[in-house]
Amino acid sequence: MTQSNGNNILTALSDSMAAAVEKGGAATVLVAGRRRMPASGIAYAADLILTADHVIERDDDIPVMLPDGTELVARLAGRDPGSDLAVLRLGGAAVAVAEPAPQEARIGQLVLALGRPSPDGIQASLGVISAVGGPVRTGRGGLLERYLRTDAVPYPGFSGGPLVDTAGRIIGLNTSGLARGASLAIPASLAWQVAETLALHGSVRRGYLGVRSQQVAIPPAQQKALGRDQETGLLLVGVEDGSPAEAGGLIVGDILTAIADHPVKDPDELLGRLSGEVVDRPTPVEVLRGGQPRTLTVTIGERK
Amino acid sequence: MLIDIVDLSNTLTEAFTAVFQRAQRSLVVVHNGRDGAGAGVIWQPGGIVVTNHHVVARGKPRISLVGDREYPTRLIAKDPQIDLAILQADTAGEYDSDLPAAPIADSRDLRVGQVALAIGHPWGQIGAVAARIISSLGEVAVRGRRSSVSVIRTDVGLAPGNSGGPLMNVSGGVIGINTMIIGGDLGVAIPSHVVNAFVAETLGQEVPQVAM
Repeated sequence: MTQSNGNNILTALSDSMAAAVEKGGAATVLVAGRRRMPASGIAYAADLILTADHVIERDDDIPVMLPDGTELVARLAGRDPGSDLAVLRLGGAAVAVAEPAPQEARIGQLVLALGRPSPDGIQASLGVISAVGGPVRTGRGGLLERYLRTDAVPYPGFSGGPLVDTAGRIIGLNTSGLARGASLAIPASLAWQVAETLALHGSVRRGYLGVRSQQVAIPPAQQKALGRDQETGLLLVGVEDGSPAEAGGLIVGDILTAIADHPVKDPDELLGRLSGEVVDRPTPVEVLRGGQPRTLTVTIGERK
Repeated sequence: MLIDIVDLSNTLTEAFTAVFQRAQRSLVVVHNGRDGAGAGVIWQPGGIVVTNHHVVARGKPRISLVGDREYPTRLIAKDPQIDLAILQADTAGEYDSDLPAAPIADSRDLRVGQVALAIGHPWGQIGAVAARIISSLGEVAVRGRRSSVSVIRTDVGLAPGNSGGPLMNVSGGVIGINTMIIGGDLGVAIPSHVVNAFVAETLGQEVPQVAM
């Protein structure tokens, strides 16, 4: 291999990363929604900015600066502290819309973290996807189905900005607000899903059942009665007075095994099943009572 | 397809190695007779070395090539505001070819995201290399006759001992001098066009700038 050939490859690598920063940066805006330094946001639609919830401290008159230096004012369209996401609606002007990556992130993949916390221009750091994890409880009443961890340097003000692939397509949204001290990214597919709900409804509704439970093993005979291999379920050790669970007939001692025909094997799966569309809906809840499966109908409430 | 990928990463590895090997030849260790050592770049033939001002602010500086002989030096110019100093190595004319000047690249058309390579002596590890990217390009406010100075920020992890060493592009062209004094604790470099202006001002001549 000659020196010049090798160097062509290095130059191509360097140029393609600069191009990725340029492309991802065209959809990365400055969001000044808090008292201390500004953070970043992603143009999710021509007039919608997706950012991190924890960097937005007010509802109106949020200054946003576009990549070309245009200064606009946005208002909060919706927020979900549970997943640390917020959507802002811009008053006017269109922005270049971000392109999500077509594939899910892979461990080891080269990524660039981008942010625009300063009017001076785009900022970037290079790393790889270190881990793909989840589900994880966020400590803010939410459950994140999946998260990405990267070793790219999280500069101050990068929260709300994108993690992009080497083609400049969005892999995730950077946030330091979900786990203390750790810089994580919310996968783009998940963030886009939440953003759609926020743009439409202003918040993500989370279901409320009103039970305390612990994970227990299901004996083989009872698995046979269930008609499937499910080694664990949730033993109900408390049912709150006046709760949806009580109204639906759940009692202490039941082993909860499925909600809406989806097996529930651990508390995280229960939390996952209670998010989104089930609120206010009569929902089939399967339990083992005295070793026999029964299906009750519970109208899931909303957790405030 | 798999073969291609293996070839590609081998080619990348060899290309990086070649750039760093060449860069070692114009890298010096700057001793100040006191604590630790800094780095420096042979900027021009005739033993003109650029380093950080804070590396040579006190003490009597000497330079040595990596793993090679030492040369006494004279401090011929300093600019504490941008943390730069120029040293003249006493080569007595005969060692010029032993002190090859580094290729200097134009730092006025850099782009965020481009690969940036650093070489220096972090924590005394002589000639250690690092590779990441240009994180941002901007100005920082400084005191004195300039109100601000251009800086290149990188996500290369720099440590004491990287001070005064080169930040390079993928062709090995020097795009800046790493410093840890200005702009906080992240990697900051003074762009080579600022260094060139300082060298030209000192030596009273235009420094040729090659685009790399």
